[in-house]
Amino acid sequence: MLKDYHCNIENIRNFSIIAHIDHGKSTIADRLLEFTGTISEREKREQILDDMDLEREKGITIKSKAVRLYYHSKDGKEYILNLIDTPGHVDFSYEVSRSLAACEGALLIVDASQGVQAQTIANINLAIKSNLKIIPIINKIDLISANPDRVAKELQNISEIKGEEIILASAKEGIGTSDILEAIVNKIPQPKGSSSFPLRALIFDSVYNPYKGTIVYVKVVDGIIKPGMFIQTMSNNIKYEVMEIGIFRPKMQPIKELNAGEVGYIIAGFKNIKDTHVGDTIIDASNPSRVGLPGYKKVTPLVFCSIYPIDNKEYENLKDALDKLKLNDSSLFSEAETSEALGFGFRCGFLGLLHMEIIQERLEREYDLGLIATTPSVMYQVTKKDGEAIKISNPVSFPPKNEITKIEEPYVKVNIITPSKCIGGIMDLVKERRGSFKNMEYIDEKILRLDYELPLNEIILDFNDKLKSISSGYASLDYELIGYQPSELAKVDILVNHQLVDALSFVVHKDKAYTRARKIVEKLKEVIPRQMYEVPLQATIEGTIIARETIKALKKDVTAKCYGGDITRKRKLLEKQKAGKKRMKKFGKVEIPQEAFLGILKID
Amino acid sequence: MKLGLYLHFPYCVAKCPYCDFNSYQLKEDNQISSYIPALYQEITAYSKKLKKSNVKAIYLGGGTPTILSGAQICNILEFCKDKFTIDKNAEITIEANPGTLDGEKIKLLIESGINRLSLGAQSFNNLFLKKLGRIHDTQEIIDSYYLAREAGFNNINIDIMFALPEQTTEDLQATLKKAVSLKPDHLSLYNLTLKPGTEYYKEDKRGKLKLPTEDEEFDMYNWAINYLEENGFEHYEIANFARPHKRSEHNLIYWQNKPYLGIGAGAFSFIRGYRYMNYENPARYIKEIMGGKLPIDNGEKLSLRKRMIETIILGLRTNDGISCKEFAKRFKVDIYNTFYKQIKKLVNTGLLQKDDCKIKLTRRGIFLADTVFREFVD
Repeated sequence: MLKDYHCNIENIRNFSIIAHIDHGKSTIADRLLEFTGTISEREKREQILDDMDLEREKGITIKSKAVRLYYHSKDGKEYILNLIDTPGHVDFSYEVSRSLAACEGALLIVDASQGVQAQTIANINLAIKSNLKIIPIINKIDLISANPDRVAKELQNISEIKGEEIILASAKEGIGTSDILEAIVNKIPQPKGSSSFPLRALIFDSVYNPYKGTIVYVKVVDGIIKPGMFIQTMSNNIKYEVMEIGIFRPKMQPIKELNAGEVGYIIAGFKNIKDTHVGDTIIDASNPSRVGLPGYKKVTPLVFCSIYPIDNKEYENLKDALDKLKLNDSSLFSEAETSEALGFGFRCGFLGLLHMEIIQERLEREYDLGLIATTPSVMYQVTKKDGEAIKISNPVSFPPKNEITKIEEPYVKVNIITPSKCIGGIMDLVKERRGSFKNMEYIDEKILRLDYELPLNEIILDFNDKLKSISSGYASLDYELIGYQPSELAKVDILVNHQLVDALSFVVHKDKAYTRARKIVEKLKEVIPRQMYEVPLQATIEGTIIARETIKALKKDVTAKCYGGDITRKRKLLEKQKAGKKRMKKFGKVEIPQEAFLGILKID
Repeated sequence: MKLGLYLHFPYCVAKCPYCDFNSYQLKEDNQISSYIPALYQEITAYSKKLKKSNVKAIYLGGGTPTILSGAQICNILEFCKDKFTIDKNAEITIEANPGTLDGEKIKLLIESGINRLSLGAQSFNNLFLKKLGRIHDTQEIIDSYYLAREAGFNNINIDIMFALPEQTTEDLQATLKKAVSLKPDHLSLYNLTLKPGTEYYKEDKRGKLKLPTEDEEFDMYNWAINYLEENGFEHYEIANFARPHKRSEHNLIYWQNKPYLGIGAGAFSFIRGYRYMNYENPARYIKEIMGGKLPIDNGEKLSLRKRMIETIILGLRTNDGISCKEFAKRFKVDIYNTFYKQIKKLVNTGLLQKDDCKIKLTRRGIFLADTVFREFVD
């Protein structure tokens, strides 16, 4: 079924699906695709295979980034529905919000037995922030443990959602699919804008394809875009000729033009993914609109860490892997660096801690790399006595104290949405993290919104984990950078067997230096296995030891018995253990396992 | 060719929670009566192939071999003597769990030619015995021991375990003192090792086992070595102590990496450089051998290098260490040449001692034997 007809803007609906993890986002999407004949049951299987091949060959993820569905509504009219996927983890509010900006509505999925979760609240807020019409759906009503009435009440308590708006569905059983489609058509407003205005198209995503270059995903807000015309972006004067435009069905399908309200892709010989900022506005080079669309703030990395291959021979592979990831992730920053302790590696910048974790995991899983990542850090501003101001994202490059006149660290405004009963614990947590209280308001009698200002450094490690544990998972947080403030910071060095391990250095507020140093040497003592010799561990500030521990020499390492058949098994076990030891980094005589570097991230 | 012969008996009265041996709780008597013919069948199958071999030592292990009746054990040994050439003064050992022995059975064991008894005592503390899931108490160990002595066994081993959950050095000291007071000829001292699949392993994963620390284990083992040596035992292998001339001949075959034939479910053999294992599951084992096939599950022809490495790992376990002459004779290479780097490093770190004709573990090397062995494996 290949339809490519022009459609009036009043018959277009653009929407996303937002859900807490595992509440059934992709199953609902699959049902919508099947119901509208976008893919058949049989095709679905082939589709997945095709897509995997495609992903392998072309290195792009096509799966439902933005799919166009054709729907014949009960009102007798034909509609174009654009399902714009919210990529990545829903925690990625930055990425979710950029997809939402291309929509007028959102399907909010809530699990009928789990009910409202922290991310549900965060999702609703995101959708409201983006002015979206929310269509609430309670999914998985077929489960024995389902309690849709309770969940419906929860939803009404936490938001403006009305009981009669809620659709009950079971994507697994195909219940509610038609109601959802009707609600999309009837409840979600048509896109604003007009084809007769000068072109303005919002870039909401981009991917790199080795054959076609950068492919940008756009929503045309005003005007029309066609192959052959020259375009530019609002932030950049470089002009590009449009080579191809198209829609996703769900595969890329070229069409003749994209009109106001429509969603699709543009290929225009963009050389570099950096030329096409997500959030930027594409305009007609010959008839440029002067008003950019409300896009997104420019992405600046907030959290930094160094990534090193465990095996130095894998440096080139790590470099390639990072380059590939950067092609599809303009928010990832990386720069080569060397560490005395860890050899050749990269200093990387991320949107946040989750982004960092995802990138590390992808490098390890998809590229099969064994990595050592250092403690995450933020970017400090240091003013030196000679007047020079420098930005430092790596504790290693911190100048000595006597050269510094002023150190500033980044502060963030943190919004926390939490059940009101958790406020005590959150207050304590924030106080302990050098935060200051700014504002509090009740969302309803049970849900609070709290505003604080905190040093970013205090939230990048485990703030979210703590928050979740205080609130049994219900509190969610969101933060944004508000600027730099002077701070009394100290750089702590760690010496293992009297040798500085530069990768373990960290910057900390001076009041917390002792406690943190103490905990780190204790943790290192726990995770570094005993060696043949006694190994001292020291934490120092400017050469003064502030904490010390000793790893005792290995005393006993012998398995009791070994008879006939055991020997081959025993040999194989020893071989495996030996291979494990090879994965450790050697510092002088001391072997430090990867866990030592990871372990110190998880200190209370 | 000289050969060790191992016979496996996979049944026990109960399965102990720490045990990962190929053993099963005996549910019905006919499990044994259908297992024995399979042993006969396998012995027969090998007798033709290995007719010219001399059996130097026989070991009946398990499981619990003494779960069989005295007559059944006698018959099996008679059958072995019929099918193989067995040295006149071959060491013939049977493992026995106290509680499966009585005077009558012990008499029959002696009559059948068994000349060494290995008692699975494990501890002389009733509390620990209970926690280990053993079916006997301290008194039964002592009773079995004296029954065996009186019946004429002049070579008795006692198995003791240490590093048990919640065990202190004092607990082990009390147990060893009792064991030594019985004047056994041989003592095997194993530290508890948690093996995947066992109850203990699962409990440990759930954080329920309070195991001694490395330092405590060191203290226990260190004290035990000193104490046993002071009491006339020779520490001739990492986990084994013997009075003069009472080393286990059969186990020495293993440690010298010499050939042996294993009969029974899950038994290992090492013959002509080929190491292989029988099917562990008794039903499967029986089915294969009764169907006329050798019941081999898997095996490996060891490369020269692997044989060298295994020979070193095993040899270093013994107080005799590795004779370089024998090594050269056997593998046609000089051990110092082939393993120059490893030996040099280990000698420098004080784990290995080396003179003109042999290498062996130092005292510290004994405690860090796995560190030493890891150097040698590839």
